[in-house]
Amino acid sequence: MKRRAGTMELVGGAMVLSLLAVALFAPWLAPHNPIRAVAPTFGNPAPPSWAFPMGTDELGRDVLSRVIYGARISLTVGVAAMAITMTIGVAIGLVAGFFGGKVDFALMRFTDVMLTLPGLLLAMAFVSVLRPSLLSILLVIGIVSWTGVARVVRAESLSMAQRDFVLAARALGASSPRLIIRHVLPNVMPIIIVMAALGTSGTLLLDASLSFLGLGVPPPTPSWGRMIEQATMYFRVAPWLATFPGLAIFYAVLAFNLLGYGVLRRRSM
Amino acid sequence: MLAYLARRIVFGAAVLLGTSLITFSIAFLIPADPAVAMAGAKANPQTLAMIRHQLGLDQPVYIQYAHYLDRALHGDLGRSYIRRESVTHLIVSRFPATAILALSAMALALMLGIAMGLVAAAWRGRALDNVLLVGSLAMVSMPIFWLGTMLLIAVAAVSRTFPLGGYSGFKSLILPTVTLALGSAGYYSRVLHANLSQALDQDYIRAARGKGLSNARVLMKHAMANAMLPLVTLAGLDLASMLSGVVLTETVFNWPGIGRLAFEAVFNLDIPLIMGTVLFSAFLIVIANLLVDILYVWLDPRIRLGEMG
Amino acid sequence: MKRARSRHARRSGVGAAIWMLAAAAMLLAVSGCSREGDGLGLPKGSSVLRLADADDVPTLDPAVGYDTLSWSFEQEIFDTLVRYGDADIELHPDIALSWQSSPDATVFTFHLRKDARFSNGHPVTARDFRYEIERVLSPATRSKGIEYFRSIAGAGDFIAGRTRHVAGIIIPDPYTLVFHLTAPDPLFAHKLAVPFAAAVPRDAVERWGRDFSRHVVGSGPFMLKQWIGGERIVLVKNPWYFVKGLPRIDAIVDQIGVGPELGWLKFEAGQIDILGGIPPAEFPYVMRTPRLRRLTLSQTTISTMYLGMNCQMAPFNDVRVRRAFNYAVNKQKLIAVLNGRGVVARGVMPPNLPGYDPNLRGYAYDPARARRLLEEAKIGPDFHPTLWLRADPTTVILAESIQQDLELVGIHLDLKPVAWGPLLEAIRQPRNVELFLSGWEADFPDPENFLGVLLSKQQWGGNNDTFYSNPRVDELLAQAAPMTNLKKRYALYDQAEKIIVADAPWVFLFHPVSYVIRQPWVHGLVLNPMRPTRFERVWLSPHHE
Repeated sequence: MKRRAGTMELVGGAMVLSLLAVALFAPWLAPHNPIRAVAPTFGNPAPPSWAFPMGTDELGRDVLSRVIYGARISLTVGVAAMAITMTIGVAIGLVAGFFGGKVDFALMRFTDVMLTLPGLLLAMAFVSVLRPSLLSILLVIGIVSWTGVARVVRAESLSMAQRDFVLAARALGASSPRLIIRHVLPNVMPIIIVMAALGTSGTLLLDASLSFLGLGVPPPTPSWGRMIEQATMYFRVAPWLATFPGLAIFYAVLAFNLLGYGVLRRRSM
Repeated sequence: MLAYLARRIVFGAAVLLGTSLITFSIAFLIPADPAVAMAGAKANPQTLAMIRHQLGLDQPVYIQYAHYLDRALHGDLGRSYIRRESVTHLIVSRFPATAILALSAMALALMLGIAMGLVAAAWRGRALDNVLLVGSLAMVSMPIFWLGTMLLIAVAAVSRTFPLGGYSGFKSLILPTVTLALGSAGYYSRVLHANLSQALDQDYIRAARGKGLSNARVLMKHAMANAMLPLVTLAGLDLASMLSGVVLTETVFNWPGIGRLAFEAVFNLDIPLIMGTVLFSAFLIVIANLLVDILYVWLDPRIRLGEMG
Repeated sequence: MKRARSRHARRSGVGAAIWMLAAAAMLLAVSGCSREGDGLGLPKGSSVLRLADADDVPTLDPAVGYDTLSWSFEQEIFDTLVRYGDADIELHPDIALSWQSSPDATVFTFHLRKDARFSNGHPVTARDFRYEIERVLSPATRSKGIEYFRSIAGAGDFIAGRTRHVAGIIIPDPYTLVFHLTAPDPLFAHKLAVPFAAAVPRDAVERWGRDFSRHVVGSGPFMLKQWIGGERIVLVKNPWYFVKGLPRIDAIVDQIGVGPELGWLKFEAGQIDILGGIPPAEFPYVMRTPRLRRLTLSQTTISTMYLGMNCQMAPFNDVRVRRAFNYAVNKQKLIAVLNGRGVVARGVMPPNLPGYDPNLRGYAYDPARARRLLEEAKIGPDFHPTLWLRADPTTVILAESIQQDLELVGIHLDLKPVAWGPLLEAIRQPRNVELFLSGWEADFPDPENFLGVLLSKQQWGGNNDTFYSNPRVDELLAQAAPMTNLKKRYALYDQAEKIIVADAPWVFLFHPVSYVIRQPWVHGLVLNPMRPTRFERVWLSPHHE
């Protein structure tokens, strides 16, 4: 049983590493400039061929190169947005769980309210108001997705705060921030790591969805979601335009899901 | 028990109040000028000032909020800036399309998810379990809009008459339903599988097995009962959020539901409509929470006895 | 015992819930099916024109609608004093049988026909026109049409609530209508051809209030029979319509929620009679297939797409940079990306606008020259301007094409796709947006509607979003505006346009060409370059459904 769980996270981990490698070495891996027209297929995308294994799009760009460069922006957004999500969620969860009482009540009611708000819709509204840019998208994804993290971390730290060693440290006069950082945080770390991996798959999907709705990082930065958005116009005559970037998103999300669930399974077994 | 329910209702109302406050602040903080959105490309500053006055945008914020709340309590969510129609009416008129899609997708997701979860649990630790595990993760990892587009491509390649979008009877419901259901089904099968595994390791189940009950019987009769409750909670909340509009699926399939309406609203920065759809969504989720709470009371005697105040 | 029972309850409860969900879904789907059926209550053998649109009609209230889709239905339901022909942009009588303007173009008199009636049977009189114009001017309506009628004498007092009626609209008898203007306006009659100036019955508006849009009553060839939001709109023949024998079809059914792709499939299956938007991907196929190509109609619209450059912001205050951009953008490529649905723009005015100057040369695609000009202007590789545009997929693709072109002359363009409202707001601020993509559709067929509205200093902060100003141009425009002699008028505008093209506040991109495809059994369909298609003269020959 344990070995199988190990396989899952190993595969996931390898997939994540491969993504990182593609993103990092994009300029060497991509056969063409992802923005320039390399074939005169304007308004008339060309199917996959030996020269262009994933075809060219309606602006004459090489789809393969765009998919490769797309890894950069998608991973950047996915990971950075996850970091923001985790920061907000962990901070609120730790504080609520550690202090309990009124602080906990106020923070958790705020979380309840946030949970009732429709995430994607809210993100769309925020992004369209703030105007799409890397920073605004990161912030917005963070703002709409921290609630789940906060709840889990709160539950963990709530039980942690009652443990003997924390109570003992407190009795010895340790300050609250010190207690949280030195004692509570390290003990809730495993669950935070799992949530980070699963959270990245969530932020990746949310980013792709926003891009698909035309609210992603603006062009020419190739982004998988936006590529699919533009490809929907051509889906009947040029299905390859939507297929490859979609597979890329699928691969990336699956990678983080495998990793996260793998760790989670082993932990719970 | 009545006291418990009353408390839940008051709590739900308080959450809604908070939601309305947040929604309102967002709308208020939006730097876009609604007057420009309304008056269009060819208006001059006088017209704009006039419209601002008409909309009451020159009044203090708290008065605007009080008015908003008062109207919302009477079911009036204001008028769309772009369509000039009552937001309540727009939402109500789009609700049937979304409801059909949400209900059919939820039905499919539950059937598929439960079937997968059960089978995986029955073959726990064997090859089929592994296959289903990876399969369900794949379902969860698939971007909905991509899945929808791929289904469109596949169907368009095979048939020239099958409806590829729009809302025109039973056939047109199939693709969006599958698109919307697959991700949830994968998730439900995961949750069910995890709960079943946990239940199967419980002492009383081991005892039941020890008594010589067959694997399937144990699974269905004992483990299932304990594993379903969390799933129902989850599905209830999911259904509520689907009912409040499924932006991506509706966009891919040109489905005239609340999701499209919300998307249009965001795209045009039609503030009353954005606020209306967000509040409506929050309302559904609060109601769903309440129903789930009631379900718990009904099903779980401990709450009925007042242990979990 | 208790546990067991509760467990049992749980299981059956869950099962029942699932089946109830499934049953409910089926029931709803089936009811959706049956609603799709005929049920229009039309007699058998009625000739019904079937259309399809992706989005719902925003409104049918003529005081509110200001978009192509709303206007296309409003012009079927309502009448104006004067109107354009089905395919031309000349003024023809509608409710007004004849009209005169004073020589200085400040007083306009209209003589109305006496046999026009609303679909509720009430006669159409001069009061119904005044009522609608006053409704548009009234602040409570928040109409986008207010600018059309601001020049009527007394409009200002009426808007401010100081008078009950607009003093400059005079009704000597029920079938005569006189307008007094505050300044000469040779184009005023054109402003009465927009749906904002339609005849609207007061009793119906007062009965329905703000929901008039859903219960419109007009005097046009068709009347509203049914409007199910997001699903369909049905218009039927108005038996009271004053032109006998029109409309030639009995009803129009517009299916809503049918995107371009689905619309195309339905068209091929013969389920739609006329399709406006041929999806870009199918367009080359249609043009290659003679059978289909014969079914298309096309029309160059009286509109211009352009890339505006803010002339008050460095380095676009340097005419060399603006010219360089004109040479650098490959307009042919833009049109190729649109599958040929456009005509390269050489200046501001579209080719079928009266007063268009066919001798204007414009800017050819010449990246080498662009590079030279940029060098002269000392534009280095660190110059990263931002182009604002509307965030819809087609516009974004056009912007990306421009981005590619500029990359080739060493300029890295950033794109900023935003929603429509914020875009308008941003470009109106002085020194705020350096580059933006925009377009202008004519309201009236006159050069003033392009040059005066978009490029005069008077319109700074209004529609002149490039903040371009040239005193000589302003002088020419002021001279031309009140001129009623068309030859002299157009000569002055052409002179102004030449200067504007040389000053290059825009990259003049293209004039869109609209395409429509209709079934072989659809007859009498023509396209108008400026207004939505009319359907009252369309007829259908026998066909299988």
